[in-house]
Amino acid sequence: MTVTEQEIARYVGQVREALADLPPAVRDDLLEDLPEHLTEVAAEADGSLHERLGPPEAYAMELRTAAGVSAPSATPNLDQRISAAVREGWARIRVADDRLGPVLGYTRLSDFLRLLRPAWWILRGYLVAMLFTVVLTGTSFGLLPRLGGSGLAALLLLAVTVTGSIWLGRRTERLGRRPRLVLNVTAALLVLFGLAGFAELDGRAGGGGNPVPYEQVYTDQYSGVQDVYVYDSQGRLLEGVRLFDQNGQPIRLGHPWCSEAQERYQTMPEYSDPTRLPYPFCPEGAPFRFGPTTPPTPEPAAPTATPGEFGPSATPGGAAPTATPSAVQGRGPAPTPTPTD
Amino acid sequence: MDTTQLLKGVLDLAVLAVLKDEDGYGYDIMRRLRSAGLDEIGDASVYGTLRRLFQAGLLTTYVVPSESGPHRKYYALNPAGRDQLLRSGKIWRSFATTMDTLLDDKGMAA
Repeated sequence: MTVTEQEIARYVGQVREALADLPPAVRDDLLEDLPEHLTEVAAEADGSLHERLGPPEAYAMELRTAAGVSAPSATPNLDQRISAAVREGWARIRVADDRLGPVLGYTRLSDFLRLLRPAWWILRGYLVAMLFTVVLTGTSFGLLPRLGGSGLAALLLLAVTVTGSIWLGRRTERLGRRPRLVLNVTAALLVLFGLAGFAELDGRAGGGGNPVPYEQVYTDQYSGVQDVYVYDSQGRLLEGVRLFDQNGQPIRLGHPWCSEAQERYQTMPEYSDPTRLPYPFCPEGAPFRFGPTTPPTPEPAAPTATPGEFGPSATPGGAAPTATPSAVQGRGPAPTPTPTD
Repeated sequence: MDTTQLLKGVLDLAVLAVLKDEDGYGYDIMRRLRSAGLDEIGDASVYGTLRRLFQAGLLTTYVVPSESGPHRKYYALNPAGRDQLLRSGKIWRSFATTMDTLLDDKGMAA
């Protein structure tokens, strides 16, 4: 036999390629017995298949006509379009490779990038060590893979992973397709992990000025508030006050901290909902006292508040409400704001 | 006139005819056609025709192991194929007679 099995396989492969536009099922059915058939042809006489049967493309064309399947369509099918796009992409990359190389002083950019390979191996080893640390200890990304906070362990781990990565790097060329694919996917994931880690690290290092979010400050500032006391412009303590924010949401600060308030809270069904409790919870605890603690009456009461009557609990430094005794205004009763919605 | 062109129209009939008395595998069928005088018949044409006739339900196949080389797929006429052979054969005979008469009238005896 002068024709080898490889030649037959190649010939069948080329015929298959020429029939690439057919639906796979039709094509497979058509080519099902072709290898066996060509083996018979090859066994019959001397000469290559090409000499005996003509070019595979012509054979495919004749096969199409005889088998009654459609002639090759003008528009390429999806497989051909994809392979064309891939070929074009590679061509562009090669062009960019040639153009960018001289900028760095190399014939090709890939020549330069090839020199950086060992550097990548070291970085890969470092990233693996970091991944170990983050996964095993749950600590955040640092500069050193501090296993259990030990610097020595960190250096040992680094030595192992970096050496391993270099060892692997020097053998990558000899690996098969599948292991290399796994290696490349792993590398991409490692790079993603590294980028995320460095971004986190940078956020911690660069944003050091005000690391605490604003909201936390807000909470801290009012967490010590037990009760709220509202005074009107004449320095009178208002009772039955409700506070709302711009959205009509009740502002709840403090709690019924004195026994009187707790009694009220339990006995009055209206107050079973704590968000409906009016301020102050405990009028007796008011920091400033001038005059009656009852809500002001509609008729303009004689201004009784004088600076001398400030209670002992008045804060020093003049932070007290500016009670102006002279101001006599026909203000109504204590304002009871109602939500607009 | 090119024989290949004429062949295209009657290849089905020729393949059915050589399978009438004896089943055969692809290359064997082509050999029979060639030894019958159809030298210019193409390998791909025979192979493709066999696939198409099989798809059309005119042939059945069975595999026979071979001591030397690959297993061989044998093609055989089924009742539909025999029926087709009979009808196509009649058409061909009538057509050939018409052509013979036509050529004889013009004094162009073969």
